[in-house]
Amino acid sequence: MSTAAAVRPARLSLTDTARVGASGLSARPLRSLLSALGIAIGIAAVTSVLGISASSQAALIAQLDSLGTNLLQVQAGQTFGGSSSSLPLTAEPMLTRIAPVLVESSVATVAANAYRTHYVPAGETNGIQVKAAKTNLLEALAGTMSEGSFITSATENYPVVVLGSLAAERLGFDHWIPNATVDIGGQQYLVAGIMNSMPLAPDIDRSALMGYPQAMNGFGMSAAPTTVYVRTTPDQVDAVGSVLPATVNPANPNEVTVSQPSDALSARIAANDAFNSLFLGLGAVALLVGGVGIANVMVISVLERRSEIGLRRALGATKGNIRNQFLTESLLLAGAGGVAGVALGIVITLIYATTRNVQLVVPVSAVAGGIAISLLLGAIAGLYPAIRAARLSPTDALRSV
Amino acid sequence: MVASVQSDAPSDAVMELVGVRKTYPGPVEVLHGIDLTIGRGELLSIVGPSGSGKSTMLHLMGTLDLPTTGSVLINGVDVATLSDRQLSSFRARTLGFVFQQFYLIDGVSAVDNVANGLLYSGVSLPKRRSAAIAALTRVGLGHRLYSPPAKLSGGERQRVAIARALIARPAIVLADEPTGSLDTQTGQEVLALLRELNGDGTTVIVITHDPAVAEAMDRQVTIRDGLIVSDVARTLEVAR
Ligand SMILES: Nc1ncnc2c1ncn2[C@@H]1O[C@H](COP(=O)(O)OP(=O)(O)OP(=O)(O)O)[C@@H](O)[C@H]1O
Ligand SMILES: [Mg+2]
Repeated sequence: MSTAAAVRPARLSLTDTARVGASGLSARPLRSLLSALGIAIGIAAVTSVLGISASSQAALIAQLDSLGTNLLQVQAGQTFGGSSSSLPLTAEPMLTRIAPVLVESSVATVAANAYRTHYVPAGETNGIQVKAAKTNLLEALAGTMSEGSFITSATENYPVVVLGSLAAERLGFDHWIPNATVDIGGQQYLVAGIMNSMPLAPDIDRSALMGYPQAMNGFGMSAAPTTVYVRTTPDQVDAVGSVLPATVNPANPNEVTVSQPSDALSARIAANDAFNSLFLGLGAVALLVGGVGIANVMVISVLERRSEIGLRRALGATKGNIRNQFLTESLLLAGAGGVAGVALGIVITLIYATTRNVQLVVPVSAVAGGIAISLLLGAIAGLYPAIRAARLSPTDALRSV
Repeated sequence: MVASVQSDAPSDAVMELVGVRKTYPGPVEVLHGIDLTIGRGELLSIVGPSGSGKSTMLHLMGTLDLPTTGSVLINGVDVATLSDRQLSSFRARTLGFVFQQFYLIDGVSAVDNVANGLLYSGVSLPKRRSAAIAALTRVGLGHRLYSPPAKLSGGERQRVAIARALIARPAIVLADEPTGSLDTQTGQEVLALLRELNGDGTTVIVITHDPAVAEAMDRQVTIRDGLIVSDVARTLEVAR
C-alpha cells in the first residue's frame, strides 16, 4: 500500500454529508419534529405577517391606482369670523380654464336633513348630510353605483336623491328598492339609487345627493359650491394644486383649502407598517426561542451519541467530517422548520386573502428570507455542538457507554 | 510444540510498538514500555486481566490515541508524524475495528451500517452498497440485509460489525473483546469469521481477557499491569 495515497483524506460528497446528517434525524423522528417546530412557528409568523401585509397593501395600492392620485379637492375654508363659507360662483368657470384640469365637479351643502319618513324625530339625523351634486360627480370621484342610477340632467330638477353607502345603511336600506322615498325638508324624495363606498370622498358616503336646480328651487340655495373636485393630468397635480386657491377665490385665496384625498389612502398603506413591526418582533422572538431549542437538542444529541462519534472516527472520519455531520443535522432541522414555516405562512396568508377577498401576495423576499434566516439560525445553533463533537477524542468517545 | 517467536524481517512487520508508554491524566501510567512487532498476516491475541491496559494498547495500535513516549509504526510509518486528518485517512484505508459493543448505528439498516465502513474512503454510495451486500453475504447475513440493528441478535450484530470492518479490505483488523457480549457458541462463530479473514492475508489482532479465546489464535501476547509478560506462538500444524 502506498503511504502517500493512504494519508490523503477523502472528501465526503455533499449528498453523503446530507445523508449522514439526515440519518441522525430520522433515527429520532419525534424529537426532530418537535425541535423543528419552534423555527416553523417563528417563520410562519414572519411569513404570514409579511404576506398579509403585502396582500392588503397590494389591495390598497390597486384601489389607489384605480381611484387615481390625480384628484384634488377644493373646499371653502372657514371665514376669518369662523362661519363656513361657499366658494365664489366664478370658481368653477375659472377652473375649467386651467389646461391640465380634465374633469371638474362640485357639491354644495343643503341646509336640510334626510329621514326615512316624516315620522322620524327631527333630532335623529344620523349624521347624514344633504347636498346638491353636479351630474358628473361620479366621473370626477371615480365612483360607481351599487344599484340604481345617479342624478341625471333629467332628474336634477325634481325631488330625486341618490344615497351614499353609509347614508343608505343608516336610513335602513339594505338594498335599493325602486320607488322608495326619503323625507327631506318635509317633502318626499324618490331614491334613484345607492352609491358604492367612495374611499376618496368619505363624506359623500354619508350624504344624500340631489340635483343643483332642485336644491336651489326647494331650499333657496345659491348656485355657489362648497366643495369642488378636480381631476388633473397626473403629472400636473402639484402645479394645479398651487394655482387653485387664487383661481377659485381670487379675492381671498387664504380661505380656500386644497387637499389630495388619495393622501389618506397612502397614509393607510404606511400605517400598516407600524402594525406589522409588532408582529414581526413577536415572530423574531419565536425564531430565537426556536433556535435555542435546536441548539439544546443538538447538545443533547452530541452527548448521547459519543460512541457513534468514536465509531465514525475509527472508521476514518476526520474532525471536519464529524463537525459537518452535526452542522448538517442542525441545518436540516432548521431548514425543514423554515420550509414548513414558509408553507404554513403562505396558507395563513391565503386564508386571509380569500376571506378578505384580496389577491394573494407573498413577497419573494419573505420566502427566501424566511428560509435563509432559518438556515442561519441552524448554523448558529449547530456550530457549538458540532465543534464540541469534532473535538471529542476518539478514545474518550469510545470509552463512554 | 510451542515456541517463542521473534518477528520476521522488519520489512515484513505491519505493526511495531517500540518502548510505548501511556500516561493518562492523574497521572496514571497504564502502559510501562511495550515492545511488540506484528508481522503481516498474523492472527494474534493480546490477553490479560481487566484493567491491564489492553484497550489502551488497541487504541494506540489503531491510531485513535498516541503514546506518551515511544512510537507506534504501521507499515513502517511512525503514526506520531501524521496529522489528525492523515490519521483519519489511515484508519479509513488500513485499519478495521470490531468492538465488544458492536457500535452499530440505530435506525440504519445492516447494509448501510456496513457501507459506512467505506464512507470515509470516498467510495460512491452504489459501490458502498454493493460492497456491503457482498460483505454481509460473506459473514452469512445475506438474508438480513435490510434489518435494523435492533432486530438482530447479538451474534448477528457482531457479524454486521465484522462485515463493516472488512468491507474496506484493511491490512489490519483490531478486535476489542469481539466475543465479550456473546455466548460461547456465537463467540466461536465470530472467531471462525476472524480466522477466515486472516486466511485472506489480513492481520487480525484480537484483544481478550478470555484465555479460551486467546488460545484459538496463532500467537498469544499476555500483558499484565501494562507490561508484556509472555509472547508465544504455535506452529500452524499444532494449532490446527
Ligand atoms: N481516559 C482515561 N483516564 C484515566 N485512566 C484511564 C483512562 N482510560 C483508561 N484508564 C485506566 O487505564 C487502565 C487500563 O484501561 P484499559 O481500558 O486499557 O484496560 P483493559 O485491559 O482494556 O480492561 P478491560 O478488560 O476491563 O476492558 C484502567 O485502570 C483504566 O482505569
Ligand atoms: Mg478493555
